[in-house]
Amino acid sequence: MRISRTDLDAILRHARSGHPFEVCGVLLGRNGGIVDGVVTVANRETEAPRVRYQIAPEDLLRIQREARDTGREVLGFYHSHPDHPARPSETDRRIAAEGLSDGVVHMVVSVEQGERATPTAWVFHDATQGFEEVALEVD
Amino acid sequence: MSVKVQIPGPLRGLTGGAAEVQVEALDVASLIESLDRRHRGLRERLCDDAGNLRSYVRIFVNDEDVRFLQEKATPLAAGDTVAIVPAIAGGSWGRARPPRRHGGAP
Repeated sequence: MRISRTDLDAILRHARSGHPFEVCGVLLGRNGGIVDGVVTVANRETEAPRVRYQIAPEDLLRIQREARDTGREVLGFYHSHPDHPARPSETDRRIAAEGLSDGVVHMVVSVEQGERATPTAWVFHDATQGFEEVALEVD
Repeated sequence: MSVKVQIPGPLRGLTGGAAEVQVEALDVASLIESLDRRHRGLRERLCDDAGNLRSYVRIFVNDEDVRFLQEKATPLAAGDTVAIVPAIAGGSWGRARPPRRHGGAP
C-alpha cells in the first residue's frame, strides 16, 4: 500500500491524539491503490471506545459521495490500537468476514502510551476469511 | 421504477467492475432480486440465509438507512439513488456490535 508521508503523518497524529481511545478514519484514492487522501471520522463506539471502534454508516455514505465528487473512492480504513499490537484482532477479522471487505485495505496503528505510533497495513481476503499483511510504502 | 445503485468496491467483482448500475425495482426487496438476476451472488452478500439484510451491510435510499424506514419493504421512486454501504467496526478486544445510527437505537 502506498501512501504519502503527509497522509501517514496525519493518521499517526490522529492515533496519538486519541490515546487511550481508539480512533478511526477512511483512506481515499484512485484506481491503483495509492492512498492520496485521509478522512478522520468520529469513533461512534459508546460502550468501550478504548478497545473498539465504529464508523457510522451515514458518515461513510457522506465520505463516499464526497470522494466520488473528486474522482476518488474509498480504498480502506484505519483504526488505532492503544497499547495493543499493530495487527488486526480476531474482532477485526470476524467483522470484516461478516461484512463487505474483500480487497479492502485496513491500516492498524499501535499507539504506546500516547507517544510511539506504529502503522501496519493489511488487506482482507474473502477467500481466506483473513487479513494479509502488505508492505507500507511511504512516498 | 428505474433507480441508480452505487456498488461498493468489494462487490464490483460481481458487477463486472461497475461502480454504478441502473435497476428497475419497486422496493428494496425487488431491487436485491433484480441485482442478483443480473449479477449472480449479490443477494448472498447482502442477505443472510433467512433473507434478512446482513448486520454489517447497510442500504441507503437517497440518504436514509432502510433499517429506519421499512427495511426491504422500503418503496423506491423513479430517480432514487440506492447506496450499498459496508458497516465498519472492530477493535483490539471484545465483541463489537454492528454500527448503529449515531444517537439512535441499535
